[in-house]
Amino acid sequence: MTSDAVRTAGLAAVLATLVLVSSVAAPLASARPAHEIPVTETERADLSQPAAAGWEDVPASDVALASAPSGVPNADDTTVETVHVQAARTDQRLFVRLEWDDATRDVSADDPRTFADAAAVQFPTNASARPPIAMGGPGNKVNVWFWSGATGSQELLAGGAGSTTAFQNPAIEANATHSGSGGNATWALVYSRPLNATGENRTALQTDGDLDVAFAVWNGSNGERAGQKAVSEWHYFPFGPGPQGPPYETLLWTVAGVAIVAVVGVTTFGIYRTREGN
Amino acid sequence: MSTDQQDDQGSEDSLVDVAEGIDHQVAMVMDLNKCIGCQTCTIACKSLWTEDGGSEYMYWNNVETKPGEGYPRGWEDSGGGWQSGEHSERQTGEIPDQEDYGRAWEFNHNEIMYEGSDEPLRPREGAEWGPNWDEDRGAGEYPNSYYFYLPRICNHCTHPSCVEACPRSALYKREEDGIVLVDQERCRGYRYCVEGCPYKKVYYNTVSKKSEKCIFCYPRLEGEGPDGETYAPACAEECPPQLRMVGFLDDEDGPIYKLVEEYEVALPLHPEFQTQPNVYYIPPFAPGQHTEDGETVDIDRIPRQYLRELFGDGVDEALDTIERERQRTRQGEDSELMDLLQDKNPAKQYRLGVFDDE
Repeated sequence: MTSDAVRTAGLAAVLATLVLVSSVAAPLASARPAHEIPVTETERADLSQPAAAGWEDVPASDVALASAPSGVPNADDTTVETVHVQAARTDQRLFVRLEWDDATRDVSADDPRTFADAAAVQFPTNASARPPIAMGGPGNKVNVWFWSGATGSQELLAGGAGSTTAFQNPAIEANATHSGSGGNATWALVYSRPLNATGENRTALQTDGDLDVAFAVWNGSNGERAGQKAVSEWHYFPFGPGPQGPPYETLLWTVAGVAIVAVVGVTTFGIYRTREGN
Repeated sequence: MSTDQQDDQGSEDSLVDVAEGIDHQVAMVMDLNKCIGCQTCTIACKSLWTEDGGSEYMYWNNVETKPGEGYPRGWEDSGGGWQSGEHSERQTGEIPDQEDYGRAWEFNHNEIMYEGSDEPLRPREGAEWGPNWDEDRGAGEYPNSYYFYLPRICNHCTHPSCVEACPRSALYKREEDGIVLVDQERCRGYRYCVEGCPYKKVYYNTVSKKSEKCIFCYPRLEGEGPDGETYAPACAEECPPQLRMVGFLDDEDGPIYKLVEEYEVALPLHPEFQTQPNVYYIPPFAPGQHTEDGETVDIDRIPRQYLRELFGDGVDEALDTIERERQRTRQGEDSELMDLLQDKNPAKQYRLGVFDDE
């Protein structure tokens, strides 16, 4: 092998590595914020109504939903694909506002065949470990804020599918309104809970780190209930120190930038050398 | 394999297939030849268990005319149960429409009793269907029309598809006697049990938002009444012609075991649903068809194929056995089977304490 051939092979290897690094780094840089739902600190005392003044200043995250894996009949048949999530906290309470499209306001379960619209927010009971997404697990439970158009709110504990149990003394409140009609109709729902509410199996909200959170929506008129529901992946509320959280994004973009510069440099150098050789 | 052989031998010895983990299995035999369609069982049940708000439309015990739509209307075609005797895949089912159950009608009692109206007593409006809407209609043409009554309760199945359908395990089969119950604390009103039961014998309470069903009057079995005595379910005890026997399927000295397992004349309803019911029926006899001149001919009035559809292929042999034993008694011979079917002694008709000492 000539020294030229070795040099060419080396150049190609460096190029390939740099291209790989930059292609991996760019998506990584945006993946983390996609699952972050910012929590706005606010002075306003009461955001508990979906139409309360102040919500317009709170940024919304679009959270994608998909049918939950479940053994119940028609588990694949869900209709809601996105829920818009806003979160705000005062020094007293955390408010979580969900808004999603639903053409029909299903608030009755007064007939054998009718089911009510519903939604839920799920947290790990113990913020230090992320439970299985589907209702947690026996050793890693979830604390669920549930609301149904027919029966109102419930605070639930679950340690795996089928284990849902209601808290005797719920700490949450929920208010919902359905507005618009047809394709423009939406549900808007606000859950709130005192930050300092304590209790066995109740998620601590005064945490210093990120708090995992997931969402679920049921469309009653589609017969959705139990495991037939549209669910999100785990997201998180950044309750950590400072508004930015860990500087992953900056770090990764820096790596990507260096990679791009290096690729351009090496390519230029290669072309230059090739011409010089001629 | 010696172990397998022992297992085979064991299952032959026990003879009765009770569900896994169940000590004994309650069972009921209803003799359809004795049912007069009086609905006393229906009312006995209703006044005990389903008079509260949200349960007005429920009849845990109902008596329907066959052939007929039944209660709820069209229940036999509403799905549920198992795809096969393997009990691994369930059949999809539907929740009946409220109109198919029928609603509790409002009557014009007030106008007639207090306001001097001379209207006939009748439902105010919306009376277009209800339980027994097609009562006594049956099928066939004069002079060969036919019908019979079919009393129905929960079958407390050995392989209950309602139990399997519940994602929360809110329904369960009691270990001591195999009664199928809905834990009202666990139920969240999803109604998979309602659609999963092929007999449509689990009902959704529209007020409590939970499902309910026949409890085989277990508090009566347990002597929870004021006198502390054990009683059979109210539908059985209150029956004027006393057409029901109550006991345990695995009580080998009892009449139910003999009728179901030995003589094989008591048959489950729609065995093809594969849930293995523990309510059994003595199939109905009817006089032969008549000619236009009024002469009886040797043709089944109730088409045999219809009875096979209801009770399975075992109905041919069951009817043959009963006919053979009837003939014996006509000739003055003894027949244990005929004695069993005619026994009026409650101590034998209701054998509920046989396993109390275990």
